[in-house]
Amino acid sequence: MDENSEATQRVRSRISVAAILSAIAFAVIGARLVDLTLLNARDDAGAALAEPTTQGARADLVDRNGVLIARDLPVSNLYARPAAFWDSDEAAIGLARVTGARVERLREVFASQRAYVLVARALAPDIRAEVMRLGLPGLFFEEGSKRVYPNGRIVSHVVGQVDPDGNGLSGLELGLNDIVRNAEAPVALSIDMRVQFALARALADTKDAFQAKAAGGIVLDVHSGEVLAMVSLPDYEPNARTLGEGDSIRNRMTQDVYELGSIFKIFTFAQAIDEETITLDERFVVDAPLRFGRYSIGDYGRHGHDLSAAMVFAESSNIGTAQIGLRIGAERQRLFLAKLGLLAPLRTEIPEIASPLIPSRWNEIETATISYGHGISVSPLSFAAVAGSIANGGTKITPTFLKNSGLDQSSVSRGERVVSVRTSQTMRALLRLAVTEGTGSKADVPGYSVGGKTGTAEKPTGRGYSRRLQITSFAAIFPSGDPKYLVFTMFDEPVGNKESFGFATAGWTAAPAAGQVIAHIAPVLGVPANLEILAPSEIASALP
Amino acid sequence: MIRILNFALIVVTGLACIGLYRIAEEARIAQTDLRKVEAEINAEENAIAILGAEWARLTQPARIQALAARHLPLVEEPTLQLSSLTLLPPRALTPTEEPTFRTASIVVPKPAQEQISAPQELTLASYSGM
Repeated sequence: MDENSEATQRVRSRISVAAILSAIAFAVIGARLVDLTLLNARDDAGAALAEPTTQGARADLVDRNGVLIARDLPVSNLYARPAAFWDSDEAAIGLARVTGARVERLREVFASQRAYVLVARALAPDIRAEVMRLGLPGLFFEEGSKRVYPNGRIVSHVVGQVDPDGNGLSGLELGLNDIVRNAEAPVALSIDMRVQFALARALADTKDAFQAKAAGGIVLDVHSGEVLAMVSLPDYEPNARTLGEGDSIRNRMTQDVYELGSIFKIFTFAQAIDEETITLDERFVVDAPLRFGRYSIGDYGRHGHDLSAAMVFAESSNIGTAQIGLRIGAERQRLFLAKLGLLAPLRTEIPEIASPLIPSRWNEIETATISYGHGISVSPLSFAAVAGSIANGGTKITPTFLKNSGLDQSSVSRGERVVSVRTSQTMRALLRLAVTEGTGSKADVPGYSVGGKTGTAEKPTGRGYSRRLQITSFAAIFPSGDPKYLVFTMFDEPVGNKESFGFATAGWTAAPAAGQVIAHIAPVLGVPANLEILAPSEIASALP
Repeated sequence: MIRILNFALIVVTGLACIGLYRIAEEARIAQTDLRKVEAEINAEENAIAILGAEWARLTQPARIQALAARHLPLVEEPTLQLSSLTLLPPRALTPTEEPTFRTASIVVPKPAQEQISAPQELTLASYSGM
């Protein structure tokens, strides 16, 4: 009995130990259940399942108003396993019809012994659906993305291109590669597509009318340095894989340097006025060419015996300007141009930037020719930025292709001063004078008080300069009283036509093109017309 | 006592099994649905991206210009921006303080004093509260 009860006692204690252990185990499990379900419900449960974003590796590029410029679209590459086809001829015909591939090529690759062959690249989803509808076995899609440019040619040079792996190759696609690859939201450029179109159209019209070899133009906000439009013609179709005939990927506004000619007089006059080397009513004798040994500097057309400094600028006299340049002197001229930033390559987001060509010796003759824009070559964008700096009140701007949010006025005060406010105001008046009284009259737009300077540069040939081959350009500011925008237009080798009485100088080509651009973009950009300067008949004709 | 406890625990275990199975099954179905919806969202987003690009292509100024030239009897007229917000007079200024009115940017001579003072309370300042 004793033994029996002792055994029972032992069993009972074992059972209770087991019961306690299981109770603890259940309690732990129960507590964990309560913890997981009630107390600590995990919010990120769905995160692991979330789909990666559908957008490709590169962010969208949009213009300053949000208009789409570049986007990665989903596409598929189609591969086939020819061995799986029942009838490879029928498959070739069907696939060729749907994907646009050449049927001979498909027949050839299907007949080869290769296990996998590429049928077509970059198929859009609707074409992919049609391929599926063919019901062919042995087809495989490889997912990818393709950069598309809905606006096509219009912004081709500015935006540039990407390689098939989505790395920037040229233009802003290369210059902003890191930003575009890492951005979550669309990247807003400074470009305004409406302005870009107006510029492209005016340039194309004039280029055709004067059978120019090439043309280019820039619209710049002179306060913030934002580039609203930049066009280089001939351009190219960025969505095509090959260049069309006559197309060019060369961005003439940044990648090329030109001897821009008389529009350079803006800098000579800005310096002479800023350093008080001349007064505007001072008279300069312009009736005979200036001689430097074998070289002589002459004028295009005759201006009588003498001209006031202001009219030297307006009538674009090389003889007069060279005298002013000589009075400034070589060293001071070089220092001033260096301060403006014309002697160093421009720094901006576009990677295709040419270095300026500057003379190795900067003597008297160079000083004289540089004063009217020969003997020094700069890119049009660098020119535009510096001309904008002189017109905006005298503070240096750096051209940018990214939208500056809320900077416009405040950024002006941060820039380095290049000329005094007074000089800037005088230059505005001189530029206006060149339109009202001088060579730029065809750039005027009623109500918008355009100011500007023409430049007709003879192209350097093997020996000396060609009289016939010219680069014509025009730099315009508007409204000239308080400039907001600078418009630059340029034509390479224009040929005179019947309407221009055979003339192809800047006053007949680049100036009217700039005027056409301003007439289109001023209302778009919200620049109010100044009715005070409109003649009554002009108001009547302009009003609805 | 222990028998009742055992029985109760077995019942609880059984119920927990059934419950767990149901939850697991629901989760599986929900996951399938989620994948489907996500695929649909993906397809829709792709479609939106494509349509957005297509919209940008169709509405580009160059195309609209060409279409307008071909189909509309419109001629290009010079347009003028007549005024802007920056040209509006400041709110607090009453017409009597301003030597001239600015309408757009035409300066018109100040009207005779009695013309504006006739309804005495109608000054620009009185509009500012409206």
